[in-house]
Amino acid sequence: MAGPEGSGKQNVMNKNHPGKKWLQTVGLLLPAIWISGCATSGVQNPRGTEVTELKADERGFVTGTGIESQDLVSISDQIARQLMSTPEIVNATSPPMIVTENLINETRFQINKEIFLSRIRAQVNRQTRGKVRFLARRRMDVLETEKEMKQAGKLTSHSDPSKTAFKGADYFLTGKLQSLSSRTSQGISDYVLYTFQLIDAETSVIVFEDFAEIKKQGLEDAVYR
Amino acid sequence: MKARCLTLTLGTAGALFFTGCATQAPLFQYRDTGDPVEDGIHAIENAPAKDRVLWQYRTAAIAMRLHKYDLAESLLDDALASIGGIITNDKAARKARSLFHAESDKRFIGEPYERVMAYYYRGILYWVKGEIDNARACFLSGQFIDGDTENREYAADYVMLDYLDGLVMQKLGNEGSNARDQAEANSRYETLPPYEVDHNFALFVELGIGPRKYATGDYLEELRFRSGKKQAHSAVVRIAGQKLDILPYDDLYYQATTRGGRVMDHILGNKAVFKSSTSEVGDVALLGGTLMMTDRNLREAGAAVAAIGLISKIFSASTNPTADTRTWDNLPQYLGFKSLKLTPGDHRAEVHFFDDEGKPLKDLNRSITVNVTEQLRNSALFISSKKH
Repeated sequence: MAGPEGSGKQNVMNKNHPGKKWLQTVGLLLPAIWISGCATSGVQNPRGTEVTELKADERGFVTGTGIESQDLVSISDQIARQLMSTPEIVNATSPPMIVTENLINETRFQINKEIFLSRIRAQVNRQTRGKVRFLARRRMDVLETEKEMKQAGKLTSHSDPSKTAFKGADYFLTGKLQSLSSRTSQGISDYVLYTFQLIDAETSVIVFEDFAEIKKQGLEDAVYR
Repeated sequence: MKARCLTLTLGTAGALFFTGCATQAPLFQYRDTGDPVEDGIHAIENAPAKDRVLWQYRTAAIAMRLHKYDLAESLLDDALASIGGIITNDKAARKARSLFHAESDKRFIGEPYERVMAYYYRGILYWVKGEIDNARACFLSGQFIDGDTENREYAADYVMLDYLDGLVMQKLGNEGSNARDQAEANSRYETLPPYEVDHNFALFVELGIGPRKYATGDYLEELRFRSGKKQAHSAVVRIAGQKLDILPYDDLYYQATTRGGRVMDHILGNKAVFKSSTSEVGDVALLGGTLMMTDRNLREAGAAVAAIGLISKIFSASTNPTADTRTWDNLPQYLGFKSLKLTPGDHRAEVHFFDDEGKPLKDLNRSITVNVTEQLRNSALFISSKKH
């Protein structure tokens, strides 16, 4: 290396020489590019994402245009509220017996068909505290076995099991989900119509009907288009 | 001498740059123990996260063929949860769009025909359990995915999905004729049989070996498909005294190749142009710079030009326009369907496969026992010409 007072021959590597400056610049630039190029390779998001607790009616960061928990919560709340104010329920002299019948799904989204009715039932039960009764029709297998065992005297019973019968339904609570969907280069759009009905089991009259509708749209990242 | 020294230094630095990243990501090695389900699950758990859905797809298809429906269901539910939403603001997707990363850095969800098949399989599983409205929802989602082709003529043109949509609608007491008309309009092979609403059993048959992906173009930036190896093209199923001829309704190779260009193809095209132009600029600058350095008076300027050329070459070499060729490689080529009426109880189905010239493929023949219960008004059997 040339000292501060180096000879003329030594100025080949003098610190002010443009060649050296270039070497320094490129020497610094290349490792910088190299390091920045490699910094993100390998494991993605190595520290992960901490579990985030959300309210069921809150929109999370993982979303689509389909049926989501916030839709379930808002719609079942609305339907339960309207159902409880139906004259047939409010003015009933004895608690009406209701059976929930699976929804019909005509949307493009596969769903657990019991989930809406389960939440409506739980909400109505919680709010009315016995003014409405739901019948456990989906548990009939277990209930019949229990009854047979009671009738056979294998199990104890508070009443004469041969004289009591399972209750019949006054109403059926059911519904239907329908959708209109479109997909173009501009994005995806889904409209879902939720209709719920309370049907008189003896007359087939629809004594209550309400609906909710939700439309969502979005455009996915270009790498997936 | 000085110029040589400079060139050598820059060259070494460049070489270091090129090799520096080569060994960063540990390569996943597929484990082959002879149990494809176990190996598939091992891959799901150990392969890079970006390939998780790919392994779920592959393992679910194997589980379907081995009639391990519960496993297939959970794998597909997990996969569909990943692909069913709208992926935005995703780090991996951003990387895949950037100049210096390959498309395969993105999370795999598959090309549309692969996503359609994930929904189709899930629909079959719903049908097996008698939930035909949810099955229809899956078929609709599949058709929906195929709805944004470049050429509208080929949009949402899966015959099977429309045919099944109409069948379910009729079974649920609706009309369903629009969907059937659509299926008829798109049908290329088989004359579609009339709907038999009282049929309680469905046969979903898949035949042949599905399409493969490959990359072409100067920088492998163009995604292409080739047809799978020749295998079964039709089948005959004998069950409960009935002989059912199964011919294909849909061809996945046709579906893969009729969608037209992707938005990603434009991105990869741009990357390729950048790679090519930076390489050319680099060549010119390196050559020009080297020549300049032979002249004493221009030596320093020549070194600068050569350095610019080298940096340009580095940018070119680092640009990665390679198309993503990860493939759901155990898909079939053809999809077929038949419905029939079966009485409750066990039934033995004898399945015979034939190639496209009608020659029997005796090695593929098989016999499957199905159980029809009174509780399920609709059930199904899944038959594949693939062993697993």
